[in-house]
Amino acid sequence: MSKISPLSNSHELGIHGNCKNKDQAKLLAIREITNIKIYQLSKFKKSNFDINNFSLDSYKLPTESGLSTGNENLRIQWQAPNVWMILSHNNNIIQEIERQCEDDDFAITDLSHSRAILEVKGKDALNIIKKGSPLNLNNFRKNNCANSVYHGITVSIDMVNDDPITFNIMALRSFAGSFHHAITDASLEFGFNAI
Amino acid sequence: MLEIKCPYCGNRSQNEFAYGGDATVKRPELNTEVSDQDWDNFVYYRKNPRGNHLELWHHISGCRQWFKVLRNTATHDIIQTMEMKENP
Repeated sequence: MSKISPLSNSHELGIHGNCKNKDQAKLLAIREITNIKIYQLSKFKKSNFDINNFSLDSYKLPTESGLSTGNENLRIQWQAPNVWMILSHNNNIIQEIERQCEDDDFAITDLSHSRAILEVKGKDALNIIKKGSPLNLNNFRKNNCANSVYHGITVSIDMVNDDPITFNIMALRSFAGSFHHAITDASLEFGFNAI
Repeated sequence: MLEIKCPYCGNRSQNEFAYGGDATVKRPELNTEVSDQDWDNFVYYRKNPRGNHLELWHHISGCRQWFKVLRNTATHDIIQTMEMKENP
């Protein structure tokens, strides 16, 4: 069975918007992130498990609100007290998670097919988010994440890199069409390259 | 537009929250005789104070946690926010 990505019908590749007389190499780049495993890890209240003993590729679970960690292939986001989201391009990551997490300590939910993710990269990426979200991004740095709203759609925003500025923005798959439209519509005035 | 300090996430816009009602209402004790009047009071009747009011809010587009907010209904000043287990 072939996989159909959430934005396969919406995300038209190519140059869009106001990009006249602009260096195409420096244009805002928008990419759908596909073929990624997404797991929600929720620690039970009664559990005494020390989360410092848990790590994936040597990355530990962030213990403070608004923090994320990881690299290009793995992101671990703090979602709520004792709740984390793990995104990985490793198809076998669940085996590593289950090896370290007992059923009595954690609820693990596979959300891989229920989210649409857009990567927005470029110096205008901050402005794209500011145009649709009330989140205060003044102190937002690399490896910061937050759940917020974007034009009324609940999204999870993760700053993956600060040079170049790169955000992963994740929304429910059922909102994928509106979410993609909101992001690309906000990007038109800057011009963007859909890759 | 209110700016509400979620005890877990910090200051966020009211857009991310949902109001959850009066935080002072207590459910009648289980396994006790409850009069119709007490049920009415619990289910339907609410005070509408002018001044400080303890409310429940849900950070529905954020960490999805419930918490309490002490808010002045006349000025909309938020005096204090706290976790569910805490009291003002």
